[in-house]
Amino acid sequence: MAASVLSRVVKSGFEFLQTSFRITSQAGNVEQVRGYYVNWRMLRDVKRRQMAFEYANDRLRMNAIRKNTILPKELQEIADKEIAAFPRDSCPVRIRSRCVMTSRPRGVKRRWRLSRIVFRHLADHNQMPGIQRAMW
Amino acid sequence: MYRRIILLTTRNRSGISPSAEHSINITNQQETKRISVSTCPNRQRMLYNKGVCAPNKRPFSTSTAISKENEESSAPKTGVTEAKVKEKEPKKSGKENLLDLLSAMKVDVTTKKKFQALKSQKSKEQPRVHPESMESATSMFQKATTEQQAQKESLSPELIAAASAVASSMPLKKSQMESELLQQLRKHESDTEVHKKAETNNIGNIIADMKVGKHPNARSPNRPANQIRFDDDGRGYTHDRGVVNEFDAVRRRKSLFTGKRLNIFPSTTDTTETEPKEVSVPSLWDIELAGQIAAVIKHLPRNGFEEMIQWTKDGKLWQYPINNEAGLEEESDVPFHEHVFLDSHLEDFPKQGPVRHFMELVINGLSKNPYLTVKQKMEHIEWFREYFQQKEEVLKESEAY
Repeated sequence: MAASVLSRVVKSGFEFLQTSFRITSQAGNVEQVRGYYVNWRMLRDVKRRQMAFEYANDRLRMNAIRKNTILPKELQEIADKEIAAFPRDSCPVRIRSRCVMTSRPRGVKRRWRLSRIVFRHLADHNQMPGIQRAMW
Repeated sequence: MYRRIILLTTRNRSGISPSAEHSINITNQQETKRISVSTCPNRQRMLYNKGVCAPNKRPFSTSTAISKENEESSAPKTGVTEAKVKEKEPKKSGKENLLDLLSAMKVDVTTKKKFQALKSQKSKEQPRVHPESMESATSMFQKATTEQQAQKESLSPELIAAASAVASSMPLKKSQMESELLQQLRKHESDTEVHKKAETNNIGNIIADMKVGKHPNARSPNRPANQIRFDDDGRGYTHDRGVVNEFDAVRRRKSLFTGKRLNIFPSTTDTTETEPKEVSVPSLWDIELAGQIAAVIKHLPRNGFEEMIQWTKDGKLWQYPINNEAGLEEESDVPFHEHVFLDSHLEDFPKQGPVRHFMELVINGLSKNPYLTVKQKMEHIEWFREYFQQKEEVLKESEAY
């Protein structure tokens, strides 16, 4: 987390200072971890998404070998075992679409990535362009 | 200036107006009042309203039909000739004017080349004073059209050779096949080029249709600034600059570091670069200082538009009009046959058997996929190659390799 905090601040527009620093990975000092996510569950979901993105190509190719009638079955069994050996967070099924503001796992509208409560709140305060109360 | 115009109109009320260009202007105004009103500045409108149009409608009826095509192209040009004609004041008899009319009418077929030839002729006849903004609009329009003309569809020799080889392998009608194939390829190339350059053409067309705006401060008055001028009363007054002009130059500067170098100070060249200091972790104070410096240097957005510009630069906001191939500019240069014909990459695989069958299916799918770059497709194929080489033993046991 420390590295991500630092990288985020360092990236934010002062490249000319960066050349004078060399950040070594072994940090001796303990720093407070401060992040911008609502809660730890949201953070874990973010990590799962990143990992799923990393392993997406590999999983696609392995599944292409597995779900096949042409290749020999022995090869497919080996491929089954290999894909099971991938880290658990690499599969996209574990991703849960959460509300971006409140991290609510249920009642999330996909287009706005917001839970129904936050959506209503913003729409009533005129913060959502093009959204109007329905009346017919 | 206005007195001259009134004299002109009173003299030539019965006859035809002084010059051929005037006649075209009038016909234009009759035909497309919208365009001429927008392009001509106010003093020209006064000229027409003086009644030059009214008695002279009949002799121009024939020219209207022909000059319809010339309308839009000559509308910007005639605006310029207006300015010129007033200054020069040629006085011709009625017969000469008729002859001028007829000679002008001959130029009826408007290809773009002829329009340019006509324009160059006019410019040779009369020396001109171009208002700057007018020149830029027409020149931009011209550039857009010349770009269109100058494009020639060029096929690479490999493609031509491939087309001829295919045609020769066909049993019947080889020359016809070859010509048809080449035609298809040329059409494909032209389509992609049109698609690529569609935006520039549209901009050129849009600019040509826009009305000519003049920069308010472009012509600084001939008198030196702050000179006292005298009214009829005898009271003097200085030209009030106003506060706006002072801040104008400042506002145009977008940041501290744009603008011409003054070369006042000698530039220091570091022959030996100082070694970067090794800090284990930048402390919070350093980060804070760096953040402060960054905040001072960047200019905060003054309004919503600048905020959106900043976001677009950061990459947080998409670029409008939406470009579906936003991150993929390099990909558009890759020719289509590298996407479609992937058979040549299958050389390392066995030529028969289930593995080959599987890879042929993979390549079939990749060739139909428009969303991947060629690099990504190559990576897929390479991964499979390595995987099957690793699993060689297993495959040999099951007699598949």
